[in-house]
Amino acid sequence: MNRKFILKRFLEIIPGGISWGLIITLVFLAIFKPVACAVFIIIFDFYWIIRTVYLTLLLALAHHRLSRQKNKDWLRLCQDKIFSRRWDRLYQLVIFPVYNEGPEVLRPSLKALAASHYPKDKIIVVLTFEQRNPGAKENALKLESEFAGAFFTQMSTFHPDGLPNEARTKGANATWGAKFAREFLDNRGIHYEDVIISCFDADTCVEKEYFGCLSYNFLVSDKPHQSSYQPMPVYNNNIWQAPGFARIVEISGSFCQMIESMRLEKFVTFSSHSMSFKTLVDIDYWPVNMISDDSVIYWKAFLFYNGDYRVVPLYITVSMDVAYARNIFKTMGVQYRQKRRWAWGVENFPFVVSGFLSRKHIPWFIKIRRSFHLLESHVTWAVWAVILVLIGPLPLFFGGAFFNQMAIGYNLPKITGMLVNFTLFTSLVWIVLSRSILPPRPKTVSWFKNIVMLIEWFSVPFVILILGSTPAIDAQTRLLLGRYMEFNPTQKGIKCYNVKNGDFPENVK
Amino acid sequence: MPAILEKGPAADKYGPLTARAFQRLRTGLFYLSVAVFCAGLPFILSFALGYKFNLHTFKFTKTGIIFIKTQPEGVSIYFNNKLLNDKTPASIQELLPGSYNIRLELKNHYPWRADVEVEEGKVSRVDKVILFPLRPDLQQLNQKKISVFRAYPQQRAIYYLDKDEALVYKSDLNGENFQDIASLPENFPEITGWEVSPDQAKLFLFGAHQIAVAYLDSSDVYAYSDSPIILDYPRRKICKVFWHSDSYHLVVVTNKDIEVIEARPQASGVRLVRLNPGEVSVFYDGSEDMLYFTDPQRDADNLIYNNLYKMEISPNLYNFRADHAGGLNE
Repeated sequence: MNRKFILKRFLEIIPGGISWGLIITLVFLAIFKPVACAVFIIIFDFYWIIRTVYLTLLLALAHHRLSRQKNKDWLRLCQDKIFSRRWDRLYQLVIFPVYNEGPEVLRPSLKALAASHYPKDKIIVVLTFEQRNPGAKENALKLESEFAGAFFTQMSTFHPDGLPNEARTKGANATWGAKFAREFLDNRGIHYEDVIISCFDADTCVEKEYFGCLSYNFLVSDKPHQSSYQPMPVYNNNIWQAPGFARIVEISGSFCQMIESMRLEKFVTFSSHSMSFKTLVDIDYWPVNMISDDSVIYWKAFLFYNGDYRVVPLYITVSMDVAYARNIFKTMGVQYRQKRRWAWGVENFPFVVSGFLSRKHIPWFIKIRRSFHLLESHVTWAVWAVILVLIGPLPLFFGGAFFNQMAIGYNLPKITGMLVNFTLFTSLVWIVLSRSILPPRPKTVSWFKNIVMLIEWFSVPFVILILGSTPAIDAQTRLLLGRYMEFNPTQKGIKCYNVKNGDFPENVK
Repeated sequence: MPAILEKGPAADKYGPLTARAFQRLRTGLFYLSVAVFCAGLPFILSFALGYKFNLHTFKFTKTGIIFIKTQPEGVSIYFNNKLLNDKTPASIQELLPGSYNIRLELKNHYPWRADVEVEEGKVSRVDKVILFPLRPDLQQLNQKKISVFRAYPQQRAIYYLDKDEALVYKSDLNGENFQDIASLPENFPEITGWEVSPDQAKLFLFGAHQIAVAYLDSSDVYAYSDSPIILDYPRRKICKVFWHSDSYHLVVVTNKDIEVIEARPQASGVRLVRLNPGEVSVFYDGSEDMLYFTDPQRDADNLIYNNLYKMEISPNLYNFRADHAGGLNE
């Protein structure tokens, strides 16, 4: 075993080791030293109250920015004479890596592109299908004929299976599509620095002003090529049809992303995002053997530019599908696998830290801070619900009569109750804000669903434990044991056409 | 705290709060949160661990808690003769170690008082207090003169005997539907014990040498007559009688033996056990038809010891024969 491998394995063990170490230590403390465990839990409870209030305030601020920038005429701002010469040269390259999604998933996404408030002769669309998918060619032909003439060009390419050093990941497919597009740009003589590439999930529907907003932020940026551009992902495509707990999980996911957009020093690309094509080529595209390609691409650029790289939040939404299946148990499984795949982003930690160790030009302060943020966020993700929901009551359970007659034994449930009340208060803010990002209720959905959607927020403690901590612990344990995950795309395709954008043209030809 | 800010003209297009202002606001919120955490944690922890901060000495003193819970709730609490605002259930926190007088008062109830010791860092629980009403809620149930009664909550019935009039009455648990349901044998010697059968169709009463069985329900298939059946034990003294679970057999414990007898006229008993002379104590488990009894036995050291025996009467009841019945000393 060489030193590189040992370092890699050591770094892979750290997140899971810390998470499991915390959980096991607290369980042992609850059994043998209940007072010490109770003290830790009270400190953690108080920390969590403060953190929840702080994050809820950030969410409100992010929501405020989102609502202020809604329906803004970004295109007009781009056409301002300050930028007009640069803007005239800009092209939007949109890549849809397609795993096995059919036209029913891709069609609304392409319709949303076609309906966007942006010159269509500046939009290049690349659908990159997996060659191993038997229906790929047929789907490509169908979509090409449906959307012929809707964009500057719409191309399809087929990613061969089993290329050297590649795993079956979305990143490998997206990289294939980007290289394919590069040939097209070379042939047309379009400069890479004049192209903004957006890598979208197959079900991503953009808002009408998305490309205007993206272009504007690109044009006003001091270092446009040293920035990624992250819209706010919402899961509105089928949110009214999705089961309650899946809806809660996805809304919470959107909110977490909005909160992160306010913490720029931690902000990392997630899911559908955009960046300079020049940068993408410079950093050698997305990773072709890692699952969390959406965040690794940011870290690749961060390392390439020696830490001088950032994510610019776009306060405009892109809408995707809530992942759900035909019954509640299958939906639970689909959601669990999706969240585990997201939590597999913990693989970034060894990638980033080993990258930091080989880069001398990045200041140590930044290296330590970013590594700590990355580690802390994944460990917190894995353990916080376990501590609050499962370990919290353990000192009372194991402490016996001696612990229960102590002041701390008496006060522990009271302080935990205070936490629950605070959580309810912040939940109220989340409920109110969630209503404002929902699309209008489809006529086919009963009015009663509004009530159901309020009540389902009471399932949050159960949901956060099952679909919050558990998938994260699962992912970290796999990394700890060296049992690497394979790319497992989320089952989608149950789609309610039009949602936010509503008015897709029926015939885009 | 980080200072990665969005720059350029875009920052001025966001309205009243620019991107830079948002980040400044966020930074302020962050530091405010840290300050609240750092300032609040010592107080939360000291409260949890039972410490009290003394504003005069600027020191933490370890205290205790009294927790009070009563039945009924909502009782006024007098703490060292001072009325507190809280009513039960309640806790009195941050008490220095020592003894405190607690008095609990509720209108129309007997008050409760006690001195409660408080230890540092501990909870003194006063949580088993019942305040009893001054005037208990009394209700007379019998509507006729009675001598004795027996209540059967599971059957929701009360049976009464009037020994003078030799009558049996029955009512529900609230005294409703009070009615006479049977006659007792007249001139029955002193009643030592009585019991209603599990099916509530019969009643036995016994004296020193006689058992009488009265039929309460004329629809019972074994109802032989309106007048009670008399079973005589002239040479033995009846100690205890039990109903078998079939409501037809009686288990009779005398000073000499244990026998089973049918509750019908001219029935003869089956002796199950012959007992040694001495005092016998018995318990009958009607749900399992199991009899527990004591019998004195002479041991190898020639001393007499009382032993406890268990005898199942249920499954082999109808196989009993007189010749099987043997004494424990045989």
